Formats: sequence, structure tokens, C-alpha cells
Amino acid sequence: MRNLINKTIISGGLALLAFHAYAQDISVDDIVKKANHVAFYQGNDGRAENRMKFVDSSGREQMRQFTILRKDVGETDGDQLFFVLFERPTDVNGTAFLVKKHINKDDDRWLYLPSLDLVKRISAGDKRTSFVGSDFFYEDVSGRALTEDTHVLVETTDTHYVVDNIPKDPASVEFKHFKVWINKQTFLPEKTEYYKDGEKLYRTIEALKHEVVDGFVTVTEMKVSNLETGGYTISQMRFIKYDMGTPDSVFSERSLRTPPQQWLSRPKP
Amino acid sequence: MKDKIMHFSIEHPKRVLWFTLLITLLVASQIARIHIDTDPENMLPEEQHDRVVHNQIKERFQLYDLIVVGMVNEQGIYNSQSLENLRDISEQIMQIEGVVAHELLSLATVDNISQEGPGTIRFNWMLPKEELTDDDAQQVQANVSRLPMFLDSLVSSDGKAAAVYVPIESKELSHEISQKIQALTSQLEGSDQYHITGLPVAEDTFGIEMFKQMAISAPLAGLAIFLLMWVFFRSFSLITAPMLVAMSTVLVTMGLLIGAGFTVHIMSSMIPIFLMPIAVVDSIHILSEFAEIHKPGARVKDSIRHVVGNLFQPMLFTSITSAVGFASLAFTPIPPVQVFGLFVAFGIVLAFLLTIIFIPAYIAVLSPESIEKLAQKHAGNESAIDLRGPLNIFHTLSGKYAKPAISAALAISVFSFLGIQHIQINDNPVRWFKEDHRIRVADKVLNEHFAGTYDAYLVLKKDSSAQELSFDESLHALAENNPAVKNLLSAAPESFRDFSEKISWYVQASDDALFEATEEADIEAFESVLMLAEKAQSSSKYFASPEALAYVENLQAALQGGGVVGKSNSFADLVKTVYRELQGGEQEYYRLPDNARQTAQTVLSYQSSHRPNDLWHFVTPDYNEVAVWMQLKSGDNKDMAEVIKQVNAYIESNPLPDEVSLEWGGLTYINVIWQDAMVNGMLYSLMGAFVMVFAVMVILFRSVIFGVLAMIPLSFTIAFIYGLIGWIGKDYDMPVAVLSSLTLGLSVDFAIHFLDRARTIQSETGDWKQTLSLMFDEPGIAILRNAVVISIGFLPLLAAPLVPYNTVGIFLASIMAASCVVTLILLPAILTVLQNLIFKNQTLKETV
Repeated sequence: MRNLINKTIISGGLALLAFHAYAQDISVDDIVKKANHVAFYQGNDGRAENRMKFVDSSGREQMRQFTILRKDVGETDGDQLFFVLFERPTDVNGTAFLVKKHINKDDDRWLYLPSLDLVKRISAGDKRTSFVGSDFFYEDVSGRALTEDTHVLVETTDTHYVVDNIPKDPASVEFKHFKVWINKQTFLPEKTEYYKDGEKLYRTIEALKHEVVDGFVTVTEMKVSNLETGGYTISQMRFIKYDMGTPDSVFSERSLRTPPQQWLSRPKP
Repeated sequence: MKDKIMHFSIEHPKRVLWFTLLITLLVASQIARIHIDTDPENMLPEEQHDRVVHNQIKERFQLYDLIVVGMVNEQGIYNSQSLENLRDISEQIMQIEGVVAHELLSLATVDNISQEGPGTIRFNWMLPKEELTDDDAQQVQANVSRLPMFLDSLVSSDGKAAAVYVPIESKELSHEISQKIQALTSQLEGSDQYHITGLPVAEDTFGIEMFKQMAISAPLAGLAIFLLMWVFFRSFSLITAPMLVAMSTVLVTMGLLIGAGFTVHIMSSMIPIFLMPIAVVDSIHILSEFAEIHKPGARVKDSIRHVVGNLFQPMLFTSITSAVGFASLAFTPIPPVQVFGLFVAFGIVLAFLLTIIFIPAYIAVLSPESIEKLAQKHAGNESAIDLRGPLNIFHTLSGKYAKPAISAALAISVFSFLGIQHIQINDNPVRWFKEDHRIRVADKVLNEHFAGTYDAYLVLKKDSSAQELSFDESLHALAENNPAVKNLLSAAPESFRDFSEKISWYVQASDDALFEATEEADIEAFESVLMLAEKAQSSSKYFASPEALAYVENLQAALQGGGVVGKSNSFADLVKTVYRELQGGEQEYYRLPDNARQTAQTVLSYQSSHRPNDLWHFVTPDYNEVAVWMQLKSGDNKDMAEVIKQVNAYIESNPLPDEVSLEWGGLTYINVIWQDAMVNGMLYSLMGAFVMVFAVMVILFRSVIFGVLAMIPLSFTIAFIYGLIGWIGKDYDMPVAVLSSLTLGLSVDFAIHFLDRARTIQSETGDWKQTLSLMFDEPGIAILRNAVVISIGFLPLLAAPLVPYNTVGIFLASIMAASCVVTLILLPAILTVLQNLIFKNQTLKETV
């Protein structure tokens, strides 16, 4: 049903007025649920090639290129499986991540380092650590459980819902709260601002570009800015494909050493 | 000329007084715009090579100046209370304006890397964010002990101290931030002690205290001089005159300096203290002679004319030579010292002008009664201190015992010469505070516990230009054979930031082009470009290679054995630690990976932590440069110089790899550089001044012999003072170096007065014995008075909490004492022995 509404809005746009009326009544929980879905759960599975550029405060650039596979577990927007295979720079080519994301407990994470021929389970204290040195956190890539924050709709503009999110366990995160600007039509979270003590804005995430891929509105370029360091990371997603029918076996420890090329390779245009 | 000036001031005294007051107030008003600068970095010109490199290193490795906060608990810090305090204080300090919060380094802000069961590696905050138990604290101790990067840097290995490294945006904020930190620590519970140190705090705090001292020491010295003059002259209205000259000189000079847009540096803050004695000296000569000459009943105006007429020439000479001595500082390569020298020189000239214009005018407006009183007192010899005693001794020594006196002087010269050989050139901004100052205490305590609170950076840099050239050649060869590649090349940006960015661009561009390409030939060509670029990308990361890292590792090991570097941290240490944890945590794996790919993948694992950017403090993102962070227990320049020597010796026997060069950075290193510049600069400027003063003397006296004679007291005094420094082991530091100019300026003063008067009197009497007696009357008294007033007048400087001020106080006193004694014993003794030679010429000349 939710998907249906989304698709109608995206493809049609005629229902704008009706949507507007509908929008007035939507609860904040529904808004964040929809946004969460659009950002992380579209289709049953998907793939994308990601090129991340990190630029530091003095303008120096680094690049990482990897392919990411995703599959949802179960019907509701809950647990997910991720497989990430690095290609560039060449000295990390073949490095792979396997992540089993759990909503109600810590994620399971494995890392394969080909040059050391080593599979390591990574037990991270929290998900707000850097994703391979970029300004992205693991949580930005895989999503943050809605149950971890209290959500407050602070403003409704002509185009956006502005939702404030306050962590239920402040000790587990480095922010005081974060605000998300959710597009009223697409429910795409287009901008996120993280604040520290004293209302100090120190981090932003922006969706710079989006396209409709396989009928889903999909962000194709994102930017995370670290206002403290003055650095930022741009992530470009390309060769996106949804609902490929990826089997569960792809997300196994076996795949770390022997990447599932069939599912990783670029979709035929 | 001088008569006209004097005539004007005596006839229109009130106009002169009002005009002086007006000018003084006008220029002094500029002092309100004062801007203090205590940054020793500014001892070097902004474009100075080492300073430029230092700043580039800071930028490339994202380094900041650090305040070091130490928490010490003799019972140990691994208890819940202490660690929670450490966590709280770290978080609170991050909130302070001007602190670079995300770079703050303490146990509370770093990750622990540990083993969690077989095959599992864990990254987590070293200090849990929740409430801590004592068990947690024990666990933290066990965890830290496994991480060599943190041990003795973030916590001491004796478990009794923890450090918070507070990076700051600007050194100028150090004092303010350290005050705020102190306020925060004072509110923490428990038995932990807190200490704050670090070069930026020392330097900035020095500036604040210096500012206070300008308001305390200089006026106090002025007061002391005033009181001493009162003892000698017993007339407040009369001795107010030199004080006014001194004040006006100081105010106008400082007003001009500040008004001209110069910052007040450590050196220039001492200008008032230097100018005051010089400004007073001439006036004392005038007052002294006036008091001697003006007999009750005589016309005041005549007496003034007579006195100024007598003294004009020696005063002009002394002012010129002193000014030349200070102006010679302009030849040092140190901007604050140049400013200091030039403005003191200006002040000296101004003091001379004021003395011959203002003093006569001032005396002229005094009520005849007060002058009458003075004359009567003086005639009754009411001076509280009778200087005739010592003068008689000097008289006897230089007359009857001239030869033994000269022999003694020669012996002392030998002693001085030997002492100079022992001079130790050294400085350390932390030692500008007295031993009981909290910064000194913090410095001592923290360096007992940690590997060192002073830092220096050694940077190894790989030159990739040869590699880039060959890459370009290969690229163009590929372009020659394929038009599509040629198009790719022409689409490239005009220039790249560096080679690594260029390679990265070609990797991405050829990869994208491959996706679009349809022709088999194009696909093949783009694949070649991609391969070329990727190969270059891997091989260009020089400091990922085990060979390169091994060089760094060995250099560090050599330094560790050198005894001065407490500890060094590098990219090699970081890689070794993460590699060990990836391999299961056993100590045998604490080693460099086998190849560059392993290094890269080890680093990738580390980058999944809370602080991935710490990596870039040790290596640049293109892996072409590494920085070795050295911790030194002492900020003494001689220790830093020793480290440089050790590194050079290491490189001598273990040459740097091809195309690798070495650079230095860090405040401790910069201090050595400006010290070297200072010492050499001072030496040149002193020699230059010596030659110039000698030339001036010869010209002014129109006699080579008198020129040589005039140089004797100052040569003797300088040698004596520096010999003494060598013997007592006092470090030759910034104030001591600058004092050489003052010695030159002041000791030549007495000699000029003495010689000028001696020559005049001799030409009148024609008999040296008689001349000598007369010389120990009025001129001798004036010289001795000056010496006593200034020596004692500057003793209040000893009360200042800043060591450079004490140094200046002690040395001013010693300089005055030494040069006065030399002038009054050695000069007449030489004249006694060589009277025939010297005065034969003299009388000849006079008669010509």
C-alpha cells in the first residue's frame, strides 16, 4: 500500500492536491517510517556501484570505489543483509564487508582482507564509526533504527516535513539531536543536520541528486560534510538495480573470499 | 647651534615646557592602541624558511599547537572516579571556544582495538561512555598497556598520570583557555591533581605577565631611581627634571612604536626599562655639575650655560655611540630585535635632545629660592651618601698603584676570556618563569610522568616528480596511438594539486570511458590507461612500502636510544599495532606488514574507527610524506639541538632513501632556529657596533689613542660580564644576548665623560697629577652617582616573577658597576702610566 502511494505520487504528480490534504493529517511516526523506507528499503534487494570521494579541509582528495549488494530480511522494514566489495584504490581491491543488520541487537560484521587472507569479525561498540575513513558512518550507509530516537515534527514547510530526532540513549551517540528535512512528495530525506551540545551544528548530510530507478526514487549523489574538520565526502551511486532476486547465499562468509561475481557485475543496460 | 638652542630654552623656558608636554601627550596617546605579541615564532620573519616549512607541516599533517593538561594521582588513576573525571574534563574542554574539539586527544576520545574471542577484533571507545566501575578502570589499564601509541603519551606507564592534549586554533588564546581549563578542573571531585603546561601556554602566559610587569617593574624602577637621586641631591623639584625627561622619552618612544603599527614583543616591552637609565644618565651629569658649580648667589642662567657648555660634547658623544650600539641591532635577522634596537636608538637621541633643551628650561623656571636652597645644601655637603670615600680609593689605585691595577685588570681579562669559553647557548620559554610558577611546576611534574610535553616533528618526504614524468611519458605514448585516449587527455584539468590527484583523475576517467566505449580498439586503449594509472597509484604510495617504513622505524629506534627524545610516534607504530590486532593480538605480530597492499588493508581496518583522521597526523593521504611526532622531556634549545644532531648523525651513517628528503617542524624546533639566528645576529651586531663606536670615537676625539682608550672600559666590561655568565653557568639566552648592546652603550658613556673631561682639564693644568685630583672631584662624582643610581634603581626588577626581567635587573646593575669601576680605575691608571705618550700628542694638537 505504502509503495503504491509512493509510486502514484512519483509517476503521477496529479494527486498533488489530494496529497496535500492527506499530508496535513499524517503523523510524525508515519513520516519517519516512510522516509526510512524510501532511504533504505526500496525493493526487496538492490545493487549499486559507489564511488566515494573524501576531500579534506585543504582540498586533498581520496577515492574509494566499491559495489554494494543489499537484501531485506522479512516483509517489514527490519533486518537487512549487505555485501560490499572494494575495487579501488587497487591496493584494497578485493577487500570485502559482510554486514547483517539487526534492528533489535548489534549488527554482525565481517571483514575480509585479501592481502592478509584474513576474515575478521568486527565487533564495533557502536555504528557511529567511520565507514572506511570517509565522513560517512556505518549507520549512514545501513540506516539507523527508528526506535532509537524520539521523533518530533517541528515544522511543515511547503515542500518538507522537518523532523527532529532526539536519541533515547544520549550516551550511545555523539550528537544531541538531528533534524531531517523530508520531501513531502517523495518522502526522501533530503537534508539532515546533526547538532551537539549548545545547538552547535557540526555535521550535515545532503541528497544532492536523485533519479527514478526501476520505479523507485533513488538518491544518486550524497554529500556528508564534517563542519568540524572542514572535510566532506561525496558518494556517487551508479548502475543501480532493484529486485534482482539475489539469494541469501550471496551474503555468506564464503562470499568474502569468493565474491559472487554474478550478482556483483554491472547490469546489462 | 647649541648656544642658540640653549639660549632659546633659557629665555623662553615656559614655551619649551608646554611644548614638550603637548608633544609627549599627543604621541603617548597612541599607546592605547597597544597590541601585545609574545609569540616567539615571530622572532623569525614570516617568510623565513624554517617557519614556512613548520607551518606547511602543520597544514599538511593537520597539526595544531597543543596545551597539555595533566591529571596526576599518586594512588593511581585507574579508579572509576579519576577516569570519570578524565572523561568529564575532556568533554568540558571540548566546549571551550578556541579549542579544536574534534582533535582533542585523551583516553576519553580514542578507540581501543582489542581481541574479542577468536577471529573477532573490536573497536570501541577506550573509556566507556556509561558510568564506570573500578573493574572497568582495571580493564582500561589492561587495554592501554597493549597500545604503545598511547602509553607514556596519553597515560604514564606508572599508572599515576593521564594527559589531555588540547589543540587550539590560535596560540594567542592559550592563556585564556588555560585559565578556563583551570576553572573547570578546580570543580572536579577526588584526589586528582591537575597541571597545565605546553609551550603555547608558557608563551602566552608570559605575554600576560609581561604586560603586568610593564606596568609594575618600569615604574618601580623609576621610583627607585627617583629616591636615589633624592638621596644625592636632596631637592625634589630639581630631580623631578630627569624623571620628566625619562618619562617623556619612554612615552614618546613607545607611543611612536605602537603608533607606527608595531606589536609590543617581549623585547620591546623592555624598552622603557632600557631607556630609563639612559635618559637619566645625562641629566644626572648636568644636575651633578650644576650642584657643584652653582654657588649661592650666582646667576642661575649663567650656571646653566656653563654646565651645558661643559657637558654638551661628552653628552653628544655618548648619545651617538649608545644610539649606534642599539641601532646595530637592526642588522640581526630578527624583526622584534630590529624594532627594539631602532626604537631604543631613537629614544636615546630623543633623551639627549630633551636633556639639552628641557633641563635648562626646567631649571630656569625653578624658583630662585629652591635653587638657592640646593646650592646651600650642596655647599654644606649634605648628601646622605658620601661618595668621596670610594673615589679616594679609586684615586689612589689609579695614581699610586697604576701598574698593579693594570695587572689585575689583565688577570681579570684572562679569567673572563676563559669564562666565555664556557658559555652555554640555551633558552626555553618555560624557564622564563621562576621555578615555583605553576607552569614550571606543571612542566616538572608532567615530564616526570610522561615521555615529554614538548614536541618536534620530523618529516620524511618522497619526491615523486621522476615518477610523474615517466607516467606522463607513458600516457602520451598511449595517446599517440589512440585518438580516444588523446581526447581523454585533453579533457583533463590544466593542472592537478599533486601527482596523486592526477593519477586518481585518470583512474576514474578511464574507468568511466571504458563504460562508454564501444570500439574494441578504444576499450583496449582505455584499459591500458587504467592499468597504467592504477599501477602508478599503488607504487606512488611510497610510505606504504615496508622498506620505507623500516627506515622510519630504525630512525625512531636510534632516537629512542639517544636519551633526549622521550618517545616518538609514527605511522609505522600505528600500522604495527593494527596489524598485530588483525593477526590475533600476539606480540610476535607487532611488526611491519610484508608488503604495501597489506599496509593499505591494515590501514583500511583502522579507518573504521571513531577517529580515522588521526592517521593523517602521521602520513599524508598520498603516502608521500610521514611525520614522526617526537616527545621531548625538555624544551631547552640545547636538547632540541642535540636531537637534530642525532638525526643528522643517523642520516650520515644511514643515508636517506633515494628521492627522500627531511624537514623539521614543531615549536621546540622553531625555538632553536630563532635562537641560532639571534646568537649569530647578536654577534655580528655587537662586532659591527664595536667597530662603528670605535670609528665614532676616533672621529669625535680626533685621536686614535683616545678612540682606543674609550673602547677599553666597554671591552673589559663586556668580556667580564660574559665571562661571568660562562663561569656561573647562566644560559646565554635572549635577554643576555640583547644585553650585550646595552653594555656597549652604557660602558662607553662613562669612558667618554671621563676622557673628554680629563683632556679638557689636562689642557688647562698641564699636569696629570693635578688633573687626576680634579677628575676625582666633579666628573668622578657624576660617574659614580650615575652608576649607583642605575645599579640600585634596577634592583626592583629582581622582584618580577619573570626570569628575563630578573636577568636584565642583575645585569644592568653589574654592567653599571663594572664599567664604572673600570672607567674610574683602569682608565686613569692607563693614563697615569702612559701620560707622556698620550698627553704629548694632546698638548701638541691643542696648540696647533
